[in-house]
Amino acid sequence: MKLSMYGFEPVISSFRHYFLAFALFFVIAIQANSTLAQTPEQPSLASPVAASGIVAEQRPLIDDLKKQISGYQQKFKDKADADAALADLRLELEATAKKLLEIGVSFRPRLTEINSRLEQLGQPPAQGQPAEAQIVTDERTRLTTEKAEINAVLGETEDQLIAVNKMIDAIGDARRELFANTLSQRVDINYSLGSEVAGAYGRELQTMNQRISSWWRFVIAFKWQSMLAAAAMAAVTALVLLIGGQRVLGHLYLRDATIEAPSYLSRLAVAFWSTLMRSLTVVVFLATTYFFLDYFNVLREDIASLFYTLFSVIGIVYFVHVLAQAVICPGAPNWRLVRVAPRPGRILMVLITATATITGLDYLADTINQIATSPLSLTVAKSLFATILVGLLIFSIALLKPLEDQETGKIKPWPKTIRFSLYLIALLPVVAALLGYIGLARFVSQQVVINGAVVVTMYLGFLTARAVSDENALSGTVLGRAIQTRFGMDDTALDQLGLVASIIIYVFVLLLGIPVILLLWGFQWSEMTAWFLNVATGFQIGSVNISLVAIAIGILLFALFYAFTRWFQRWLDIKVMARGKLDSGVRNSIRTAVGYLGLGIAGVIGISAAGINLSSLALVAGGLSLGIGFGMQAIVSNFVSGLILLAERPFKVGDWIETAGVGGIVKKISVRATEVETFQRQSIIIPNSSFINGNVGNWTHRNKLGRVEIPVGVSYKSDPKRVYDVLMEIARAQPLVLKNPEPFVAFKALTSSTMDFELRVHLADLSNSGTVQNEIRFAMIDRFAEEGIEIPYPARDVKINLDEADVLIEALTSRVKAELAADAKKAKPKSV
Amino acid sequence: MNKFAVAIAISLISAGSAFAASVTNGDASAQTIVVTEGSSKTELQIGAGETVEFCSNGCFVTFSNGDREALTGGETVEIKGGKATIK
Repeated sequence: MKLSMYGFEPVISSFRHYFLAFALFFVIAIQANSTLAQTPEQPSLASPVAASGIVAEQRPLIDDLKKQISGYQQKFKDKADADAALADLRLELEATAKKLLEIGVSFRPRLTEINSRLEQLGQPPAQGQPAEAQIVTDERTRLTTEKAEINAVLGETEDQLIAVNKMIDAIGDARRELFANTLSQRVDINYSLGSEVAGAYGRELQTMNQRISSWWRFVIAFKWQSMLAAAAMAAVTALVLLIGGQRVLGHLYLRDATIEAPSYLSRLAVAFWSTLMRSLTVVVFLATTYFFLDYFNVLREDIASLFYTLFSVIGIVYFVHVLAQAVICPGAPNWRLVRVAPRPGRILMVLITATATITGLDYLADTINQIATSPLSLTVAKSLFATILVGLLIFSIALLKPLEDQETGKIKPWPKTIRFSLYLIALLPVVAALLGYIGLARFVSQQVVINGAVVVTMYLGFLTARAVSDENALSGTVLGRAIQTRFGMDDTALDQLGLVASIIIYVFVLLLGIPVILLLWGFQWSEMTAWFLNVATGFQIGSVNISLVAIAIGILLFALFYAFTRWFQRWLDIKVMARGKLDSGVRNSIRTAVGYLGLGIAGVIGISAAGINLSSLALVAGGLSLGIGFGMQAIVSNFVSGLILLAERPFKVGDWIETAGVGGIVKKISVRATEVETFQRQSIIIPNSSFINGNVGNWTHRNKLGRVEIPVGVSYKSDPKRVYDVLMEIARAQPLVLKNPEPFVAFKALTSSTMDFELRVHLADLSNSGTVQNEIRFAMIDRFAEEGIEIPYPARDVKINLDEADVLIEALTSRVKAELAADAKKAKPKSV
Repeated sequence: MNKFAVAIAISLISAGSAFAASVTNGDASAQTIVVTEGSSKTELQIGAGETVEFCSNGCFVTFSNGDREALTGGETVEIKGGKATIK
């Protein structure tokens, strides 16, 4: 019975796969080198002398591979029940399949050559036609023979490839079956055999004791120097890491008790670094110990596997312990990551560590069983004990009331969902073990420990990503401040950087965590790389082929080319066109056009690099154009107008234009609309089509020359000639007024009270018109005062036409008379 | 606007293709090639003027005139006059 198939083993074997991947990289690199080295030899293949050389050259390789393949077949038969061996075999087979293909491809140049030569020679002459030269016939025969030879070898290679691929499929089936068997195999648990188990246990202990002591005696006798050296080296390495790590990175992960309320991000960072550094130290110590022991040949085979398992178990248990401590942090509640109260937190930590330890010990015991070749009953009994214990431990974790209420600080139990899933997880191994499904029980308990650790780690990663993406999270950290001062970023840029960092962390956690979990579930490294390659290089959904790599390359190329366009645009504008004294309007037009052109080209490059067929896009565009024609008529019209504006340039940026009652300075000409700023600083966005369809007045089209008129009215008392002269003098005296075209005084009108003049002056730059008008008017007032020229108020002569004037006069006289009479009456009594 | 974006996305995806070998039949009659990919041999019919994508992970091909070739995926094969040329 093989119980140890899944669980710890994948984790341990995954390290081996990392090694393998690394080694593979080197092999590929070396191969690449060798192919490089071979390239100059290629022409020798082409020479007719070495005609069948290619076959002779590849033959030993093919024979070698054939031998290898039959070896693999034997291995497959032998190791049909060992999952790890099968997984390795699969890797080797995949490499072989690749080699077979390479051999097949290596014939291609020669084949092409033969084919083209045969074509040159033409068909053999038909009957009745004149015979060809003997040499031609010979060559044709020779070439045909060689081709047949190559085809035969290719056929052989093809058959081998089919065999290899069939074996790969068979391995997949076998492994699935093995896994299913492990989980579904039922062992009869006979409790009456307790004494037998105890006896077997005693014997096992004895065997192990003997083995270890014999090994130890051997070490003491022959290898004690190597042993000491190995231990010393491992200890030194670990010490360097421990002390050096604390010195260099200590500020990152040692909890500062003086900080009252550390930010969430710094708590996370401390949790992360403390877990990483502490477990790394232990792992490095164990790994170097093992490496040096192995290197000095201190380890015997059985002892080596025992040590390997022991070290792996210690490493994993320690990691779980450190992780739990970092998250729960019972010693320093202000540094904890989850709101777990200190006292239950301590218990929780102990329970978690105990669960991991027991699962690890079970795994270790399994190795010991294998080494000591103990009876199955012992394995079963021990696993039964271990799994039930794990179940009970998880059960007690579920019973715990660890959480602290955020407001009241009261202790409360787990949320219902977590509690019930914990009960379920606890129940599963216990029930399975009691029913005799020891394999399933062990699988579950091991998965719980390791997956739990991975999931918690991933969760911490996600929490970090979320905390980093919080607003202004980065600027509160040491790292953020360092970046800020180093690169001179402002807060917004740093904030955006935090967002990008959080996305990167998310992707990183997923890319790292998912493969690890899959490894734990019994998937093999090679399978995952194959999947990844499949996903990356294109997978089919129906008739649709999606390739992530191609899409990523497309996006990258688009971004690169777009950045290049931007750079080119700036360079053209600042370095080339500015030096060429080009008009700013032309510059703007060219810059905009280059920008849109670059964007278009970048888009096309990106789309075609993403593997999207442009011709099918054209089809889509054709279909859409009808809809666009109706739906986006106005937008398209504006767009086209914008292009016309850029090409025709009726106005440019900085021009003073007037259209549809709006006047102002053009600020920006885009493809859809133009931005005009009025003199009140109001920005008006005018759709481009209105410029094309309507009248546009441009004060500064060809030049900024413009005419300003200042009307003035003077009194009839003054001499108009003199006024004319004075006005001309005033105009000429203004420095901003052009001499040519010369100022002009128009005697415009003779009105009732004034003689109206208009002073017309031309200005080189119309934008000065306000100042010039002011100056001229000031000067007018001053000069008119000096000259005694009056600017009259509007004068009116009033003429009254009265038809009944006599009546009026009579009425007035009679009234005066009456008043006089009244005066006389008053005066009389006085005089009496 | 959302539907529009979805339509564009779908059309972009449907237009996409990458990293497989493709064979174009430039002859007037249909051609049959035998493709060995994975653990099986399959016959692939290519109509006149058709282009078919196949062999994403490397394969052996036997053309109708008996010529054999090994492809790594990514090649473009053209059949003309019963003969295959690889680019």
